[in-house]
Amino acid sequence: MYPAKFDYVRANSVQEAVALASQRDDAKFIAGGHSLLPLMKLRLATPATLIDIGRLAELRGIRREGNGVTIGSLTTHDEIATSADVQSTVPALAEAAAHVGDQQVRNRGTIGGNIAHGDPASDLPTVLVALDGEVRIQGPNGQRTAKAQDFFLDILTTDLQPGEIITAIHVPAAPRSAYVKFENPASGYAMIGVCAAVSDGGAKVALGGALAKPARLVDVEKEVAGGSSAANAAKSTANRIGEDDWMGDIHASREYRMAVAPTFVERALSKAMSR
Amino acid sequence: MRAIGSSLPRGDAVGKVVGATPYSGDLSMPGMLHAVTLFARRPHARILALDLGEAGRVPGVVCILTAADVPHNRFGLNVPDQPVLCGPGDDEHASRVRFVGDKVAVVVAETVEAAERARALIRVEYEALPVVPNPVAARQTGAPVLHAAHPDNVLLHYRVRKGDTLAGFAQADVVVEGEYSVGGQEHAFLQPEAGLAWLDEEGRVAVACAGQWAHEEQEQIAHALRLPDERVRVIHPAIGGAFGGREDISVQIVLALAAQKTGRPVKMVWTREESIIGHHKRHPMTYRCRTGATRDGRLVAAEVELVSDCGAYASTSTKVLGNATIMAVGPYDIPHVSIDAYTVYTNNVPSGAFRGFGAPQSHFAAESQMNKLAAALGMDPVELRLKNALRDGSLQVTQAPMPAGVSMDHVIEQCAESIGWRRTAQGWQRPAAAQPDSPWLRRGIGFAAAFKNIGFSFGYREHCWATVEIHGGGDIDRVVVRCAGSDVGQGAHLAFQQIAAEALGIEAEKVEIVSADTATTPGSSGSASASRMTFMAGNAIRGAAEKALAMWRDEEDRPVIATYEFNPPATTPMDDMGRSTPNFTYGYVAEAVEAEIDTETGEVRVRRVVCADDVGRAVNPQQVTGQIEGAVVQAQGWATIENFVQRDGLVLTPHLSTYLIPTVRDIPDRVDSIIVEVPDPLGPFGARGMAEMPFIPFAPALTAALHDATGVWFDHLPLTPVRVLETLDEQA
Repeated sequence: MYPAKFDYVRANSVQEAVALASQRDDAKFIAGGHSLLPLMKLRLATPATLIDIGRLAELRGIRREGNGVTIGSLTTHDEIATSADVQSTVPALAEAAAHVGDQQVRNRGTIGGNIAHGDPASDLPTVLVALDGEVRIQGPNGQRTAKAQDFFLDILTTDLQPGEIITAIHVPAAPRSAYVKFENPASGYAMIGVCAAVSDGGAKVALGGALAKPARLVDVEKEVAGGSSAANAAKSTANRIGEDDWMGDIHASREYRMAVAPTFVERALSKAMSR
Repeated sequence: MRAIGSSLPRGDAVGKVVGATPYSGDLSMPGMLHAVTLFARRPHARILALDLGEAGRVPGVVCILTAADVPHNRFGLNVPDQPVLCGPGDDEHASRVRFVGDKVAVVVAETVEAAERARALIRVEYEALPVVPNPVAARQTGAPVLHAAHPDNVLLHYRVRKGDTLAGFAQADVVVEGEYSVGGQEHAFLQPEAGLAWLDEEGRVAVACAGQWAHEEQEQIAHALRLPDERVRVIHPAIGGAFGGREDISVQIVLALAAQKTGRPVKMVWTREESIIGHHKRHPMTYRCRTGATRDGRLVAAEVELVSDCGAYASTSTKVLGNATIMAVGPYDIPHVSIDAYTVYTNNVPSGAFRGFGAPQSHFAAESQMNKLAAALGMDPVELRLKNALRDGSLQVTQAPMPAGVSMDHVIEQCAESIGWRRTAQGWQRPAAAQPDSPWLRRGIGFAAAFKNIGFSFGYREHCWATVEIHGGGDIDRVVVRCAGSDVGQGAHLAFQQIAAEALGIEAEKVEIVSADTATTPGSSGSASASRMTFMAGNAIRGAAEKALAMWRDEEDRPVIATYEFNPPATTPMDDMGRSTPNFTYGYVAEAVEAEIDTETGEVRVRRVVCADDVGRAVNPQQVTGQIEGAVVQAQGWATIENFVQRDGLVLTPHLSTYLIPTVRDIPDRVDSIIVEVPDPLGPFGARGMAEMPFIPFAPALTAALHDATGVWFDHLPLTPVRVLETLDEQA
């Protein structure tokens, strides 16, 4: 289907983009368009105006910051997947970005758009939640920072307020981290995605794909911190997840996801431990 | 260079690859109208009333066709049990919709948009009726009757009794029992249904569409429109795949009706979703099997009960059932056999022709039985097969001898050797799969064999026409072959060209094929199905070419024109004991599969497939290899990820995002195509049909590989990760 009719304006700065958004009703920002356009073609999204922020150089690029990396929101999945800085500092993020969609999608799709979309089957939110990432936001009321754990609220729902733009993502270093997933064979979206990071102090683990938003697996983390093996720790995967919280669809039932999630938790932990 | 046996390139390849070749959906004409279909989208209901008022007033709407407009409101390839359009009125049969893809109206308008707008404004008043979701429910007492002629919803029951199974099982040292089920399958051809109809210069209703059998479509259109056949013309432009999915009528009749009604060209293109709910699927089937053998591996008795889900209308279900019946014990010589086969009406999308036509389902059950029997006997599965394989003169389950040219043992040996089976003093020995270095991945190797009829069976009067014109003076300059047979993408026309060139001793480039237009190829060639086109048309073309060549030598007149009708040996229908001469020839195939299973997630990967297919004579080896690779991948889809889900008659997988077919990421790492050439005594230059065969043994070879890897039998298809994990858990 073709999208419904919409206006198009291009912003020349973040400030202008934010101003344009407050002037127009029902406006959406567009960068790579790889989450928004499919929704528009299905007429699930019918914005009156698209504000193109795709050429704002200030939002692009990867730099080291503190002991982590800061990634401009317009940075593409491919740039993240192939960045030596990301690969060495946060290998799980490079790994997840390398498995978003296909190469064409990774060449156009951006981390900011991906995060703003809040798709529970997406890979990057799981990594950010696991690794205590931060989302940096600019809006009509200035700049703010949200913790990834607080940013994702529900299916396709985030903490982003009207007129706000994600400007960057910051992820603390996690050199011993990994991301593994069980993907939908048609779309490549995660039906189960697990990000795990280990350090001397313990572990950070998040589960995505199977739930409305990524969840930290606190009990698994405690088990690892207490010296459990990956396999034993993974047994606690479902401890704090209500049976009704698991999602199921025609490709992978709720029961199936519940059954294999611990396997992916174990695999992610083992992979992280091997780094 | 000889014309036959050369991998000549396809003349149509470049046009198709660059997008220049017009398919029926690409055609347009001045003054053309556009049509859209209103589908019922409910599995079982009575239409009480139809209100077209508001829809008819939409600007641009020219007419809206309903049941009242169809002169003879029935069609069907074998049994005319399907209304062209369903609607209220005196015709009780047509007042009911029986599946989601039944059609209620066709809106014809100046633009697609106007037609779609009007379609949304048609008011249909339905009375919901209880849904018959599967054959088990259909056969229960008190189940709603879907067709008055079949009060028990059983469209057909075949009964085969060969020998005495009681006595046979009494001789058995080992008896294996099994229950199997297989799912439906969507053809998922590249080109959804599309067509253009108009009144041609001779006043005929012409329909350009994608089909498999132009003359049959002509007949069905004429039947519904109450016209003489010659007032209808069917043309097949380029066709984007078929696999049996175009054997039934889709857009043809309503387009012809619309052109007749409006006097203007009318075009209709189905969306992918309409295609998936609108055309038939492979038959879901269930099996209960018992197979007995002596300690030394001699098969003595087999008993099979099979039930196929016919869906809402007959389509080719009776013919598929016949095939499934005679293949229900596999390609083996068994003295005592009892088979009961049923095809049962339900409110599902009709089942019909799909590559293999009942053979893949029956071989899955039969070959799984053989693999289990081998395990129970402690005998190698190849060894067991070779001991029992059909040979020249073996009696089929129908008690007729096999036609000459049986190569089953030869094909089994070639396939087994190629993947590493060893002949030892103790018999054949399976190679051990190299295990990956991972705690959860296991690999195994499995084997299966199959046979499949070439051409139509059970008394159908098989025939195929061809005309050959030779132009030139002293030397042959140019040859025109007229043969109606459709090239559905499989490359039939290049095979025609090569066979004509071979018969005439000229280069293939000099041969032009005129095809698939009932006005220019008046004799029927039959359907592009049943692995019959190269075999049947090849014989007809060869016959016509040899006749023309004799005239060329004996006569002065130029050009010379000769027509030939090929008739293979007659076949007969089954009697009440299943006795018949079902077919005039068969093709033989064996497959070995090396597969890897993730025992923690249930994911299955196919690492390697070796397929040995006896094609009699490879007319074009590259095309043969293409058919083998394509069939293997399509079979892999059916066996693993293709999951056509219907619940209470509703299709839950009406898109290619929900109905998954293998992509480049899923296909086997490697497919070795072994072209075996044991000439068919009846084949043109020895060629056998081959396009279905490589599909057939894949699924049981895969489950044998998974058993080799895990020790667990997988008896229900498709093997989605969910089902594989469940099965592992159950049997752990």
